[in-house]
Amino acid sequence: MSPVRVLLFCFLCTSSCASELRERALRLMARDPLIDGHNDLALQLRILHNNKLSHIRLYNLSNVATDINRLKTGRVGAQVFAAYVMCTAQEKDAVRLTLEQIDVIQRMCTSYPDLELVTSAQGLEQSTKTACLISIEGGHSIDSSLATLRMFYQLGVRSMALTHTCNTPWAESSSNIYSFYPKKNQSLTSFGEAVVREMNRLGMIVDLSHSSWDTARSVLEISTAPVIFSHSSAFAVCQHNRNVPDWLLVMLKEKRGLIMVNMHSGFISCGEKGNISVVADHFEHIRKVAGFESIGIGGDYDGASKFPDGLEDVSKYPALIQELVRRNWTETELAAILRRNFLRVFKEVEKVRDRQSSQPPSEAEIPLADAANPCRLILTRPVSGSVFRDASSSNVNVLTCSVVSSVLLPFLLLLLLLLLPTAV
Amino acid sequence: MLTDVLHNDLPWQLRSKFNNQLNNVDLNTLNSTHTNIPKIKAGRLAAQFWAAYVPCDTQNKDAVRQTLEQIDVIHRMCEKYPEDFMFATSSRDIMEAFTQNKMASLIGVEGGHSMDSSLATLRTLYQLGVRYMTLTHSCNTPWVDNWLVDTGSDPSENNGLSDFGFQVIKEMNRLGMMVDLAHVSERVMKQVLNVSEAPVIFSHSSAYGVCPHKRNVPDDILKLVKEKEGVVMVNFYNDYVTCSDKANLSQVADHFDHIKKVAGASIIGFGGDYDGVERVPEGLENVSKYPALVAELLRRNWTNEEVQMALGKNLLRVFEKVEQVRTHRKRQIRARMTPAARRCTACLC
Repeated sequence: MSPVRVLLFCFLCTSSCASELRERALRLMARDPLIDGHNDLALQLRILHNNKLSHIRLYNLSNVATDINRLKTGRVGAQVFAAYVMCTAQEKDAVRLTLEQIDVIQRMCTSYPDLELVTSAQGLEQSTKTACLISIEGGHSIDSSLATLRMFYQLGVRSMALTHTCNTPWAESSSNIYSFYPKKNQSLTSFGEAVVREMNRLGMIVDLSHSSWDTARSVLEISTAPVIFSHSSAFAVCQHNRNVPDWLLVMLKEKRGLIMVNMHSGFISCGEKGNISVVADHFEHIRKVAGFESIGIGGDYDGASKFPDGLEDVSKYPALIQELVRRNWTETELAAILRRNFLRVFKEVEKVRDRQSSQPPSEAEIPLADAANPCRLILTRPVSGSVFRDASSSNVNVLTCSVVSSVLLPFLLLLLLLLLPTAV
Repeated sequence: MLTDVLHNDLPWQLRSKFNNQLNNVDLNTLNSTHTNIPKIKAGRLAAQFWAAYVPCDTQNKDAVRQTLEQIDVIHRMCEKYPEDFMFATSSRDIMEAFTQNKMASLIGVEGGHSMDSSLATLRTLYQLGVRYMTLTHSCNTPWVDNWLVDTGSDPSENNGLSDFGFQVIKEMNRLGMMVDLAHVSERVMKQVLNVSEAPVIFSHSSAYGVCPHKRNVPDDILKLVKEKEGVVMVNFYNDYVTCSDKANLSQVADHFDHIKKVAGASIIGFGGDYDGVERVPEGLENVSKYPALVAELLRRNWTNEEVQMALGKNLLRVFEKVEQVRTHRKRQIRARMTPAARRCTACLC
C-alpha cells in the first residue's frame, strides 16, 4: 500500500473511530446525564446583570460559559449552582448577599420550563429536566451562626464549602490571600466541628474545596456522612494547593467521599492552558489512588477564566467523556463518575440525617472573642426601659458594614478619577 | 372562645434571657415572662404571631443574621413543643391547628431593617415562614419613616415611603406577606392604605382617640382601615392605653369600644405585645388573661358576633384576602406567559 493510502486509511480510521467514540460517549451520557458539582453562573448574573433575570434570556447568554442550550449540549442532567459571595463581605453583609444569590438561583431555576430546582437525591433522580441544586461557597456566608446555617438549609441549600479563599473564625482556607482570622494550631476549631456536626444532622453535604488540607483532614475524621470536594483536582498531577494530595484522596476513599474534578487550567495544568488529555490524566490518577468510586466532575465554569482547549464551556463535557472512553474506561466507571457516585454520596448524607432525626438542633455558639468585629452587635440587657443597647462601639461608621460601600465605592471612585481625563 | 393574637415578643425574651438556648428553658414552667404554655392554654389562644424582632441598633450591622436567628428560634420552639404548637404559614394552617387543639404559631418580622433594603431577602424571609412584616420598628429605614418622625424625635428621611418603599409594598402584596403598619409614621399609614392591593394590619397599635400617643392610630386612619378592610390589633402596653405608666383592663376595653364606634367591629383584633413591653394593665398581667377582657366586652354589650370577629374572624378575613391577592397575581403572571413558560411547575415564580 502506498504511503498516501496508508495516511488516508489512518485518517479515515481515526475519524471514524473518533466518531464512534463520540457516539458511545453521548449514549452513555444519555443514560447517565452528568451531575456537575460546581458552577458560578449566579456570580456572573450578579456581576453582569445585577441579578435582573428579567433583562436576559437564559437559553443563550453571551460572556458566560453556561446557559440552558449549552447545558443540554453538554448533557448536563443536574447542575449545582454556587450562591457565592466574596470574602471581603465577611464581617459585613455576607449573609444578606448570600440570601440574594440563593434567591437568584431559585428564581432562575423556577422561571424556565427546562430547569427544575431540586433539594433531595430522589428529586435529582426523578427530574426529567436539567435539575438545579444550590450550594454555598464559603462558611463566611453563615457568619458563625448555626441558626443561619439551618435557615439556608430550609431555603434549599444542600451543600456548603467550609471556606472560600479566606479563613472563617472557625475553619482554615487553602489560601492566604486575606488576613482574616490567621490560624495557629487549629485549622478546625470546636465551633467548626459543631458546624460539621450540624451539617451532618441537617443533611447538608460538607464540601472541602477551598479548605486547607489540615481542615480537610479534621473534617474527614469527624464527619459521620461522606464529604465532597465539589471542584478540586489532583495535586500529584498539578501541584496547586487547591488540589487534593494523594494521602487525602486515600482518606476520602475510606470515608466513601467524592472528589469532583475541576476543569480550570490553573488547577489542571498549573497555569498552562492545557487540554482534554491533561484533564483525563487527573481522572486516571485519582482512579489509581482512590478508585473510580471516588470521582465526579465539578467544572467550575463561570468561576474561573481559563479552561483547557476543547473544554471552554459546559457544552464540551462529551469531549471529555469521549477521551475517557478512548482510554478504555468502562461503562460502569463512566456512569459512576458522571452521576452515580454523587447520588450515592447524597443518599448517604440523607441517611445520616434520617438516623439523627431525634437529635435536637445544635445550640453551639462561637466564643465571642473568636468572631468579634465592629459589625457584629453584642446585645446587652437594657439599663432601663425597653430600648436595648449595643455593647460594641456605637461610633462605627455604618458604611463600613456593607461590602459595597466599603470596598466597591472607593474602587469605583478611583476608577472614575482614572478614566475622567480620557473621557474628556 | 379562642383568640388569635398578632404580636408576642417571647422570642426576644428567649434571646435576651437565654441567648436562644432552648435547652436551658422549659416553656411549661418558665415564670419570668408574660408567656408560657400553661398561660397560653389558660388564655385560650388559638393562634399567635411570634415576633422575629431585632433591635434598631442592628441596622447597618448584622440585622439580617440576627433576624434569621430569631426565625430559627421560633421554628425550634415549635419543634420542641409539638403537642402545644403547630408551625403555621397560612389561614388554612390556623384552622388545621384549631382542629388539632394546638396553637398555630406564625412569624412576623418586626422592622424593615431586618431585610436590609433587599427584596431578595424579603422573599427568603417569606420562604422561611414570615407572614407579616412591620415596615419599621422605632427607626427609619432607607425607604420608610417610623413613628418617631411624628413626635419630632427623628427627621423624616423618606417623606413617608420612598420609591423603593412602594416597591417593597408591591412585592409584599405579590408574595402574600401582610403589611404591618404598627410603628410607622402617619404619612406612611396613609400612603400604604391607599396603595396596597391587599388589606393591611396594625399588629399592635391602639386608638389615638383614647390615648393620643403617636404609636396609636388616629380616627381618620381607622376609617381608612375600615374602607380597606384591614385590621387594628389593640396593644396592651400601658403607655399606649392611657398615655401614662398605669392602666387597667377597663381602659383597654375603652380602646375596643372606641374603634368599634369610629370604624366598626370588623377591624378590631387583639394585639397584646406581651413580652415586648414591661408595663401591662392590671387585670391583663399576662397572656392567660385574655378571657377576662372578652368577658368585659360582653359585659359592655358586645354581641357574640362582634366578639368573635375581634377574637379571630377579622384576622382570618384579612389573611385570606392577602392570600387571594397572591394567587390572583400569580394567575395574572401566568396569563401573560407563553405556553412553554407556563409548564413551569414551581411555585416560586
